[in-house]
Amino acid sequence: MHASFEEKSVWIQLVSTVAVLGAYFVVAALMLSKGVTTVIAFVPLFIVPVALLVVVLTVGHVVVAITARPDGRDERDRIIEWRAESNSSWILGVGVLAALTGLVVSLDNVWIAHMLLLSMLLSEVARFIFQLVYYRRGMEK
Amino acid sequence: MTQQELADQIGVTRQTVNAIEGCKYSPSLEVAFRIAQVFDKPLEDVFQYGAQPE
Repeated sequence: MHASFEEKSVWIQLVSTVAVLGAYFVVAALMLSKGVTTVIAFVPLFIVPVALLVVVLTVGHVVVAITARPDGRDERDRIIEWRAESNSSWILGVGVLAALTGLVVSLDNVWIAHMLLLSMLLSEVARFIFQLVYYRRGMEK
Repeated sequence: MTQQELADQIGVTRQTVNAIEGCKYSPSLEVAFRIAQVFDKPLEDVFQYGAQPE
């Protein structure tokens, strides 16, 4: 079975998000381990991957659209996205709760910001994986 | 009739028709009725509860 444009789009988002934001977190972890704890020091480091992510996602979708005609979203694509989001959104919720707890115990802002970012990244990655599983294995079980 | 032809007539992607055929996706009532209309058959002739892929 050939993948639809929507499924290929999810693959592009998964690979590019993991590669680009994963690289950000590796560098950020190194900086944090060296004692860099001011949020402003991470801003340039964060802008580069975000811009890179936009470029990679745009190029990836253009390439896929050129090689295969986009067939549009239908009800199955929407249901798969809703169900995947419903299964993965708790990760972001846990991250927000952890960040709020961090605020209560006066954790450095840089840790709170990264807790939120990491939970957002993990939540998105989980959503992409759930979507791909539903596309491949179906939603009947 | 090809999957693509059916997909075009009922307004979904070919992959969705493929998933319905393989019992990997249960279509909405609207799509189920459209499929039955295309084949000019009653709904229960096209879809059975608990059907397995052939």
